[in-house]
Amino acid sequence: MKKQIILFTLLSFCFGKVRVVTSTTDLADIVKTIGGDRVTVTSIARGNQDPHYVEILPSYMFKVKKADIYFMVGMELDLWAKSIINGSRNRHIDVVDCSIEIEKMEIPTGTVDARMGDIHRFGNPHYWLDPKNGKRIAKLIAEKLTNAEPKSSDLFRQNLDAFNLQLDKAILDWEKRFVNLQGKKLIYYHNSWPYFSNYFGLETVEFLEPKPGITPSPAKLNHIIQRIKSDDIKVIASESYFSDRVPKFIASKTGVKTVKLAQSVGAMEGADSYIHLFETNLKILSQAFGVEHD
Amino acid sequence: MLQKLVGGLIFSGILFSQTTANPQFSVIGDLVMDQINDSPKLSSSGVEIAIQGNVNPFARADVYLHKHNDESPIELEEAVLTIERGLPLGLGLRLGKFRPDLGRINKVHAHLFPFIEAPTGMKKVLGEEFWAPTGVEANILLPLPWYSNVSVGYFDSGIRGDIHEGEGESHDLEQNHDHNHGEEKQDFALSGRWSHFFDLNDINHIEIGTSGYLGDKNILVGADLKYKWRPNKYKSLTLEVEIFQYACWDDGPEDLYQNNCTGTYYGMVNYQFNKSYNIGVIGEVWVHQEEDEISPALFIGYSPVEESAVFRLKIGQVNHFYLPGEDKIKQDLIVTAQLIWSLGPHKPHRY
Repeated sequence: MKKQIILFTLLSFCFGKVRVVTSTTDLADIVKTIGGDRVTVTSIARGNQDPHYVEILPSYMFKVKKADIYFMVGMELDLWAKSIINGSRNRHIDVVDCSIEIEKMEIPTGTVDARMGDIHRFGNPHYWLDPKNGKRIAKLIAEKLTNAEPKSSDLFRQNLDAFNLQLDKAILDWEKRFVNLQGKKLIYYHNSWPYFSNYFGLETVEFLEPKPGITPSPAKLNHIIQRIKSDDIKVIASESYFSDRVPKFIASKTGVKTVKLAQSVGAMEGADSYIHLFETNLKILSQAFGVEHD
Repeated sequence: MLQKLVGGLIFSGILFSQTTANPQFSVIGDLVMDQINDSPKLSSSGVEIAIQGNVNPFARADVYLHKHNDESPIELEEAVLTIERGLPLGLGLRLGKFRPDLGRINKVHAHLFPFIEAPTGMKKVLGEEFWAPTGVEANILLPLPWYSNVSVGYFDSGIRGDIHEGEGESHDLEQNHDHNHGEEKQDFALSGRWSHFFDLNDINHIEIGTSGYLGDKNILVGADLKYKWRPNKYKSLTLEVEIFQYACWDDGPEDLYQNNCTGTYYGMVNYQFNKSYNIGVIGEVWVHQEEDEISPALFIGYSPVEESAVFRLKIGQVNHFYLPGEDKIKQDLIVTAQLIWSLGPHKPHRY
């Protein structure tokens, strides 16, 4: 009898909530922050997974089958989400593209084709790596949660205000503590970081990939090695899901420091929330560049 | 009648949809070097053209055309309208000419095989290009705590099952239907599959399925299993096993005779160990009254630029047994290389 009561309580607790599925852990963390105990949220991609490529598993469709809202990154980063949503046969789900309010960077001009590698036609989709965009995403999420459950609108608004306040405080803190990162030159493995670099004043010199998604060739590696030597570049940063074989090879030839950064919440130890994602990456970079921070 | 109905549905779906976006076009081509160890010859299976897109918010359409590398006209492989959303009870529908949900392998296009060619026994049962009749298939996710899908289809033509070749009669039913002889079709077929998918954890997954088929002159039952371990994007281990038992008859099931029964099995292990390379083994068994075949093979894949081009090599031995219990009397070593490329979003996955 006791077990039945516990089960009933658990069921009623779960079924009364807004059920949300997101493409990435970053969106899931913001949903959790805004929705509080009024939502259940699941991310399809794991934090340490390449969000460009997610194998479409039937179990993902099963997760989406009973969801009320699906938040996707958009801008063709999570093209796989469409197949999952359609495969779920959920006809009531509200699919939300979180990129709609974003000021997009690197929108290609002219002919876009496979010669340019795995390029995104609508601009660089890694926009959550600018904290200001985190606020835009949170605003959209609060609106959609309110639509799904109007009776909790006050809670969602309060949580949104608290999130914005916390993020503003963190931004002020980062601007002071990591001011010495401004103008630092670095090489990234993949072009995931234009929003991040732009916001924190880092200068991207090169990418290890000759074109997005293309493995660096020996000629490209040689070029990178020469560039590091001629421009006195100190750091190569790569996403957590890449092998460090190539950066380590370059380091062995040049002495450049190699670091991994968290591209999403949960990608690395410490990056356990949207705000901690920035804190973790900024600390890693400031240590790599040898600039002081508290 | 059924074909007209299905054709009409697809046509009306496309005609009345309000889509303004263009569909996606893809082309996949290949170059094959066969019998490298004996008398190498170059060939190409031609090109597969895929036209895919959403018809409206509820349905999508997929058309696959195949132009063989010979004088034959362009062949329609599939033209299917899939209603994915909007139907009650989470029902899904496929209508048109398509590969039914019968076992795992029947739905897989040839360019997706890491082992280059479909297993011989599967081709003998399902036909060289596999079973792609015209019909209707409904599928539903069962209300269970895991992914459990049931598909049931009704079709106007049956499995080709060319195990009869050389016996002076042909049950080549599908072939008759592929050339617009819809009115003359006297055949029917029912097929179904019940599949389950389990996340063992974030990186280990298993899928199991059982299938059944009933035509007016043949019957098939099957079972399949797929296990995949994928710790990251560039590393995975896949294990696949599939079994079909097939039988056919002339006048009625009571006339079923032994030499029209066959069993076919294959098992495969594929290991992708970095961004560009995979290696695996496949074992195929085809059991028939007059001839058995056991074929182990090793295959290697190399994909230099993500999934836009894949090079594959297969080294296999085919052991023929002409009578049950008799010593094997023929062995063939076969080495095949394949280069496969894609233009557009329909990729030749290497998995």
